[in-house]
Amino acid sequence: MQRAAHFALYDWTHILSSSTARQCLKCRAAPLQLSSRGYSVLPPPRDSEEKAMLDRILRVDHAGEYGANRIYAGQMAVLGRSQIGPLIQDMWDQEKKHLGKFNEILAENRVRPTALLPLWNIAGYLLGASTALLGKEGAMACTVAVEESISEHYNSQIRALMEKDPDRYIELLKVIKEFRDDEMEHHDTGLEHDAETVPGYWLLKNVIQLGCKAAIYASERV
Amino acid sequence: MAALLRGLRVGGTLRRFGSVVAAPTPTNPRCCNSLKCGFHRAAVRLQDDSKSDKPSSSSSTTYHEHYQAHSADQDAAAASSGAAASEPAAEEASRPNTSYQDQSGEHGEEYETEEQLQARILTAALEFVPQHGWSMEAIAAGAETLGLSSASTGMFYNGAGDLVLHFIAQCNSQLTDILAEQHNQVQLGQAEPKETAEFLRDAVETRLRMYIPYVETWPQAMSILLLPHNIPDSLKHLSTLVDDIWYYAGDRSTDMNWYTKRAALTGIFNTTELVMVQDSSPDFQDTWNFLDNRIQDVVNMASTAKQVQSTGEAVVQGLMGAALKNLTGANQRR
Repeated sequence: MQRAAHFALYDWTHILSSSTARQCLKCRAAPLQLSSRGYSVLPPPRDSEEKAMLDRILRVDHAGEYGANRIYAGQMAVLGRSQIGPLIQDMWDQEKKHLGKFNEILAENRVRPTALLPLWNIAGYLLGASTALLGKEGAMACTVAVEESISEHYNSQIRALMEKDPDRYIELLKVIKEFRDDEMEHHDTGLEHDAETVPGYWLLKNVIQLGCKAAIYASERV
Repeated sequence: MAALLRGLRVGGTLRRFGSVVAAPTPTNPRCCNSLKCGFHRAAVRLQDDSKSDKPSSSSSTTYHEHYQAHSADQDAAAASSGAAASEPAAEEASRPNTSYQDQSGEHGEEYETEEQLQARILTAALEFVPQHGWSMEAIAAGAETLGLSSASTGMFYNGAGDLVLHFIAQCNSQLTDILAEQHNQVQLGQAEPKETAEFLRDAVETRLRMYIPYVETWPQAMSILLLPHNIPDSLKHLSTLVDDIWYYAGDRSTDMNWYTKRAALTGIFNTTELVMVQDSSPDFQDTWNFLDNRIQDVVNMASTAKQVQSTGEAVVQGLMGAALKNLTGANQRR
C-alpha cells in the first residue's frame, strides 16, 4: 500500500514538474533573437527532455572550450616568448573563436553554464603552465592529450545526435563537426612538434586524459 | 488500509455489475482506453453518486485501485457501463471547453486530461483560500463549484502543497507573459527599454502584487512550501522565476555572473516577500521602499566589485609592470 502510494506520489510530482516545465517551455519557446542571423543553431526543443539533453551537450562543450582556453593561456604565460610562442598563440586564437561561438549559443538558448567554471579556470591554467615548464615538448604533449580527449568527446556527441535525428540537429552538427576538425588539427600539430619525445609521455598523456574525462563527467551534471 | 478495503469492495461490486450487463460497450469509443479517462468518468459518475449517498471516499480508493491494478480497460469499461444512463447528461455539463491538445496524444480532441482537470479544480479553489486557508477544504470547495464531488480532492496526494505550487506556477507564467509583452513593445519601438535596476524592481513588484489577495494567508503558504517534500518543487519554481526575470532584463552572461546575479535576485525576492507579509502600510509602500533599497544595494555592490577589480589590475600592473622589471633587471633577454 505504501509502495503504491509512493508510486502514485512519484507520478504526481512527475506530472507537476512536467506540466510546470511545459508551461515554462511554452514561455521560452521563442528565444529572443539577439544575433544578426535569422535562425538559431538549435531547433526549438520539443519537450523538456530534449531541452535537458541539448543543455547538457552545450554546457559541457562550453566548459571544454573554456578549459582549453585557459590551458593555452597557461602555456603562453610560460612559453609565450619562446620560439613555439606564435604557434601556441595561433591555436589559442582558434580556441577563443570556439568559446565565443559557444557563448553565443548558450546565451541565445538560455542554457545554464556549468557552476564549475572557476575550477576549470584555475585547473586549466595550472595544467597549461605546469606542462609548459617541462619545455616545448611537454606543452605539445599536453596539447595532444587534451585535443585527443576533446575530439573523442565531440565524436561521441556527433554520434549521439546522428542517432537521434540528423536532420533536426543539422546546424548543431555542423558546428560540432567544424570544431572537432579544428581540435584534430591541433592534435596533429602537437604530434608534429615532438610531443612524443617528452619523458614520461605515456604517463602524462593518460593522466591528462583521465582528468579530462572526469571534467567532462562533472560538467555535464553540475 | 481500511479505505483500500472499502475501495476493493466497491471495485468488486463494479465488476459484478459490469459482468451482469452483457458485453459492456463504452459510450464514447474514441477515448475509453486509458487510466485517466477511467478516472475522469469515475469522478463524473460520483457527482451523481454523491447525491445518492455513496461512501465519499470511493473516488480516491477507486483511483488508487485503478493505479494498482493497471487494468484500465476493464475498470474504465465497468465504470462507464455503470454510469451509462447518467453519463451523457453529466458529461455535457462537466465537459470543459478546452481545445488544448494533450501532449501524450492519447485522447480525443475534446477530452480533458487529468492534469487539466486538476489545474481547473485548483484554480477554482483559489477563490476559497481567503476563507479556508491553503487546505483541502479550499480544494473541496473549488471542486464543488465546478460541479464535481468534494471527494475528488482525493486525487491531490500533496493536498495543500498542490494548491500552493499550482498558484505559484500560475503567477510565474503570468509574470512571464507580462515580461514577454513588455519585451515585444520595446522591440516594436513602442516603449523605452528600462534600466536594469528599474526593470528588476518593476518585475519583482508585479510578481509580489499577485500575492496581495492572499496576503493574509501567505505565511501559511510559505510554511507549506518549506515542507521537505515541497522544497524541490518550490526551489524549481523560484529558480525559473529568477531566470526568467534576468533573461528579460537582458542578462546574457555565460560565466559565474550567471550564478551571482540569480543568487542576488533570489535573495532580494525572498526578503521582500517576507517584508510584505508583515507590512501594514497603505498599498504596501514600505515593502516597495525595502525593495528599492535592496536593489540599490546590489547595484552598489556590483559597481564596487568593478572598482575593486580595476584597482587590483592596476596594482598588479604596477608590481609586474615595466618599472619594477627594469629596476631589477628582469627584462633582459638572455
